[in-house]
Amino acid sequence: MRPRVVLEIVRKELTETLRDRRTLMLMIALPVLIYPLLMIGFSKLQVSQLEATAERTSRIAVWGAAPDGLREAIVGDGKIAIDGGIRPSDAVKNGLEQGTLTRPEVAPRSAGARPGGQGARQAAAGPPEPDNPVLEAARAAVVERRADAVLVLWPDVGPALAAAGAGSVSIYFDSVREDSLEAQSRLESALGAYRAGLVAERERAHGLVRGFALGLDVRATNVAREARRSGQILGLFLPFLLVTMSLLGGFYPAIDLTAGEKERGTMQTLLCAPVSPLEIVAGKYLAVWVTSLIAAFANVVSLGITVMRILPGDAISVSPSTLLLAFAMLLPVTLFITAVFLAVAAFAKDFKDGQNFLTPVYMLLAMPAGVTMLRGIELNAWTAFVPVVNIALLIKALLISEAAPDLIFLSLLSSTAYAAMAVMLAARVFAREQVLLGGRDSLRALLGFERQTGGTPSPAFALTAFALVLVLAFYGSLLLQSAGTMATLLVTEFGFFLAPTLLLVVGFGFSLTRTLSLRRPPLAGLVAAILIGSSAWAVVAGGLLRLLPPPESLVRALEQLLLLDGAPAPLWLVWLVIGVIPAMSEELFFRGLVLSGLRRLGMWPALLTCALLFALAHSSVYRLIPTFFIGVLLSWLVWKTGSIWTSILAHALNNGIAATLVYSKPLAAAIGAGTHAYLGWKPTLAAVVVLAAGLLVLRYVPPGVADPEKQ
Amino acid sequence: MVPTLAAEGLVKRFGPVAAVDGVGLTVSAGEVVGLLGPNGAGKTTTLRMLAGILTPDAGGVRIGGLDIHDRPLDAKRRLGFLSGDTQLYQRLTTREVLRYFGRLYGMADPLIEARTARLVEELEMGEFANRPCGTLSSGQKQRANIARAFLHGPDLLILDEPTVALDVISGQFIVESIRRERDAGRAVLFSTHVMSEAEYLCDRILLLHRGRIIDEGVLDDLLARSGCRNLTDAFLLRVGREGSRS
Repeated sequence: MRPRVVLEIVRKELTETLRDRRTLMLMIALPVLIYPLLMIGFSKLQVSQLEATAERTSRIAVWGAAPDGLREAIVGDGKIAIDGGIRPSDAVKNGLEQGTLTRPEVAPRSAGARPGGQGARQAAAGPPEPDNPVLEAARAAVVERRADAVLVLWPDVGPALAAAGAGSVSIYFDSVREDSLEAQSRLESALGAYRAGLVAERERAHGLVRGFALGLDVRATNVAREARRSGQILGLFLPFLLVTMSLLGGFYPAIDLTAGEKERGTMQTLLCAPVSPLEIVAGKYLAVWVTSLIAAFANVVSLGITVMRILPGDAISVSPSTLLLAFAMLLPVTLFITAVFLAVAAFAKDFKDGQNFLTPVYMLLAMPAGVTMLRGIELNAWTAFVPVVNIALLIKALLISEAAPDLIFLSLLSSTAYAAMAVMLAARVFAREQVLLGGRDSLRALLGFERQTGGTPSPAFALTAFALVLVLAFYGSLLLQSAGTMATLLVTEFGFFLAPTLLLVVGFGFSLTRTLSLRRPPLAGLVAAILIGSSAWAVVAGGLLRLLPPPESLVRALEQLLLLDGAPAPLWLVWLVIGVIPAMSEELFFRGLVLSGLRRLGMWPALLTCALLFALAHSSVYRLIPTFFIGVLLSWLVWKTGSIWTSILAHALNNGIAATLVYSKPLAAAIGAGTHAYLGWKPTLAAVVVLAAGLLVLRYVPPGVADPEKQ
Repeated sequence: MVPTLAAEGLVKRFGPVAAVDGVGLTVSAGEVVGLLGPNGAGKTTTLRMLAGILTPDAGGVRIGGLDIHDRPLDAKRRLGFLSGDTQLYQRLTTREVLRYFGRLYGMADPLIEARTARLVEELEMGEFANRPCGTLSSGQKQRANIARAFLHGPDLLILDEPTVALDVISGQFIVESIRRERDAGRAVLFSTHVMSEAEYLCDRILLLHRGRIIDEGVLDDLLARSGCRNLTDAFLLRVGREGSRS
């Protein structure tokens, strides 16, 4: 692939795209206009509504006999006016005056009901009252807007107060009407003040200490800082908006650059130029991606400015750095979706067809981002692997400063893996002339998954297999968490590494010997494997861990794992389960299937990519560099010797020795590894020498022995 | 001398149907070869295989001695392809289109500028070269398209019904351009439905029917063999005979 050609295609596609008014509208104009307009509109409306409500005097009706001072307490600050003209029916009026009506009992609130949250204000009204004449009359007065609220003083109020008891008072209001809610709130505070006065007077009269009837003076304080509170509010809708709007920015360009080109007959023009399909897809892909990013950026900037400058007060604020971070998180998700869009849109014959194809894809991919609007769904080890949702939740977590490094890593890792798969799919689609010229093609042929007897897999196949195994192993191990370390390890290694490897190789008809490097190892290879396998762990423990110390929790978790949950297992079992079985399964997958697939890329790209995938599969940012280092060594062993047995041997030794040291504290102490997380200098240097010797021995492996084409 | 274009045994199937079934042909420098055939004869599929847009199920294509399957980019650099339904980018101007393709063909910018200036003059495009292609008439579009196909000075031109849907004046303009390229030593393979164009332009003619070449030769030989006085009659006779045979 020639970068110059790809850039030329990107430039041309962007020029054309940016000259398309429809795209510009969706990409720039819509976000730039929509947020300020919506927010100005809503906030102005809300402010004026709130102001109007605050200014307005609440008009209430008071039914029943009021004790001394109550009416004055209610109208005292001038916010409430009692309208004597709002009367109930004579029956109710007489019933209240003559004491024939009493306040109906209501069922006590169930224990499970939670105060606060949505409807908290309504909940203040208590459980629903059974139908009764007073309720009917009050409802009519409030709903017909004759009164904002009705205060009913039941007949027991007078006698109860006289006897220093508690009188029954009801406030009837309509939670749907803001004016009525305000009236209820004002009435409650007025009654609260009146009640406080009553209680104080009684305490005084009875010579009781102040607060005798109060018991506890409770005050609740919200510990969330302002940034966190506004982050929570923004986190509800911002990730969803960012994801959907940035996707919308790539929607039309993806169709225009594929189905649109077919419809206009320009695809053929491009195909007869000296440009490879890969360069075409790369150019178009980058162009659509940049368009998505411009849309995302326009959204972030517009939203940021709107939030910071337009919204009234300090209720919501967000720092530019948080917005920038949110934008950065959009990179992998837009990479993924752009590739899916291109791959799908390429199948469409024309623009209309493209819209029909992409709309459901868009809905399917964008709508799950709406989970951020649901309370309680957070970024965790499960959601970190769900495409699109993980990034939406990650942005939400960033907004409330709650994103753990490991979860960020997992989300970005899985998103990148999905993006890589989608890009490969798009590249495959573009390599199919039938698709590009308007025809159809079989999915199997498209995915390059046709049986190919006796061959080795392609790099795309290896990477796809890796992505599948990674997701399978991850979800599988989560499901197995309660099953104990031993069972988890065995099922993961056999079920998620070994079985898929063998199934893929046999199922697609690849050569077992060549794909999995199942050849007899040369003697020098075995010696090198022993030297490397017995020293690599020490170089990691004494060198890399010293430079990049992992958190204590991870060290403990690894120790726990290496000791099989601390269960009293014999050493040979630890070696089998921690050393031999993972070495067999993981090596057959990584240094077998994956490395043979990557072989066509050349030595260093293949070794480094294979090691990187091996490191990524360990799903922890702290283990990335150590496992990458060991991965390079193991890949090199197989590359030089052509035999998987060498890397299995080295891998088993590496794991086994590490487990033995955790297993036997005296042994660890003897070599100075007992007290620290890392190894002392002397054994580390010795290990470096042994490792160097191993690499030196590898030079004595006869050339050509590893060349699969010659065997 | 190596022919500029050589193809042998080309086969292309779409499902059970063989659209092209064993076509072989050569075109040499300074020669115009016409590919004639009724609708559905396999002309477009053949030309697309020759231009490297479609991969043949069997057979091979060499352009200037280079196998288009093994060295597609090098082979395509020597080729200019144009078809009647080939379009240009609606939102780019003719000059921008030419610059884009010039760069894709690996030409340096000064060379692109010089070639563009010459083609704008030769193909009389001065009036519309700076307008977006979406605003051009059919004839103007096809001239811009020819400029795109000629820009990099290819040894071989493959033209698939280049005058289709054009008026007589625009059609004639294109025909004269092809003639000029032939005189400049280029090899030209073109398909057409217009028999007078074939008679006027072609040094050799291939008759394609149902995916096979059923006759080929210089115009006079074809006429002599069919006993007809013009190519239209000869064509109808041959195609009709083949049709009644099958």
